[in-house]
Amino acid sequence: MSHTAAPPALKMGIPIPNSKLGLWLFLGTEIMFFTAFIGSYIVLRLGSQGWPVDPKDTHINVLLGGVNTFVLIVSSYLVVVAHEAMAQKNFGKARTYLTGTMILAFLFLGIKSVEYLGKIQHDIVPGHIAETPTQAISKVSREMEVVVRKRFREYTDGGAVVTERPNDIVNVVNLIAAIPDGKPPEGMPDYVFREYQATAPGDLELFRKWMNLHQHIVANVSLTVPALPAEYLAARDSLKQGDKFPELKYDEVKDLLKEMKANEQYGSYVSAGVFDPHPIVYGNIFASCYFLMTGFHAIHVIVGMILFAVVLKQGSGLNEKWTDFLENSGLYWHFVDLVWIFLFPMLYII
Amino acid sequence: MSHDDHATHHVNYLAIFFVLCGCTALSVVFDVLHMPKPVTIVLVLAVACAKAMCVMMYFMHLKFEGNWKYVLLAPTTILSIGLPLALFPDIGRSYYISVAPQTGVWAPEISDFESHEASHAEVPAAEAEAAPAE
Repeated sequence: MSHTAAPPALKMGIPIPNSKLGLWLFLGTEIMFFTAFIGSYIVLRLGSQGWPVDPKDTHINVLLGGVNTFVLIVSSYLVVVAHEAMAQKNFGKARTYLTGTMILAFLFLGIKSVEYLGKIQHDIVPGHIAETPTQAISKVSREMEVVVRKRFREYTDGGAVVTERPNDIVNVVNLIAAIPDGKPPEGMPDYVFREYQATAPGDLELFRKWMNLHQHIVANVSLTVPALPAEYLAARDSLKQGDKFPELKYDEVKDLLKEMKANEQYGSYVSAGVFDPHPIVYGNIFASCYFLMTGFHAIHVIVGMILFAVVLKQGSGLNEKWTDFLENSGLYWHFVDLVWIFLFPMLYII
Repeated sequence: MSHDDHATHHVNYLAIFFVLCGCTALSVVFDVLHMPKPVTIVLVLAVACAKAMCVMMYFMHLKFEGNWKYVLLAPTTILSIGLPLALFPDIGRSYYISVAPQTGVWAPEISDFESHEASHAEVPAAEAEAAPAE
């Protein structure tokens, strides 16, 4: 009976663990995902005749972006040394490095939040940005209307004004006008009604200022032209043949808003509800690109943090079985760093 | 087989880290220098590419991986270069201008606004002092 040696087992496929192969294939799709954004950004930017680049307009903070780049680089370094420590079976050291990575990831998101907050406070939000002086004027009026309606709801919801048509602003203003010399509605204590009597004149003046601005916007005439029908008609009659009223200017509205924000009675409501007008040409498309790209990047940062949290959750039970998992998580994290390496110059510098 | 050969290559990760930090600082310096815009763009993107190469080669260990990396990454690389190139002709559409009806009055309005803003610009202190008092 002859014995022949068994042929060596065939080893098929790529000589890396399946998990790593899967991760690299996934990273291939991720590259395409961000390439679509970057490609669209290039097209939109070069296809627009202008682009907001002044930090005073965009509230882009190069310093914060630079610090975030540094934070990601340090975190990438810590991941790679954590993986090295795992390979050397020094699991305690790996956990320490990984904890550092987590802290830096939180720091990155914290700085990003500060940047987002700075933009939101200036209403640098897609769809909210006035791109021309005319749009800026209309935006002031729209925001002022919201403030007026909010103030009026205090009266209708609080019971100081009883009406079946609380959203009819002209109806409500007439009822509020009667409050200073009126009597409290049934069931309302005097001291509560006196508070409404104290605020009513200010809110009525706020309404008149907004309505005056609104009328000037509709007619597109300067605020120096009277808005009341009789006075307006008299001023129009005094115009020479062929002359017309001066148009409403952005600076007039800016000055009006400044004056209103300084008012003792209603200034705080106007300050809280009306943004300082500042036209930013192509501001909306800029804001869309900025929030889309940095937002998706931030989501990737959070996913990376979840992967690291899974490893850290093992605590002192961390062992060599987790080496491949950490290597793959690290590859993902380096990719997140890689994306930021391109986003930083494109959004913050160029 | 990089997975098993982990111990066979020794990378000075700290040196790579410092190179990456230096490159980041260089990007900011290029921004601060106020060179012509196209020069800044080319330099800054070149630095970004150098940083990306460092991360991929050393932190992601591609330098030490087998030839499978070419098989796996070549299609993605070709497509990721091809996609922006394929979109490039769309630049000619000038999106905003063709679809925004307000653009008819935009140009003079914006130029008025910008010239007005410029006229409000602060006069540098040295010039203000040199100017004769009225």
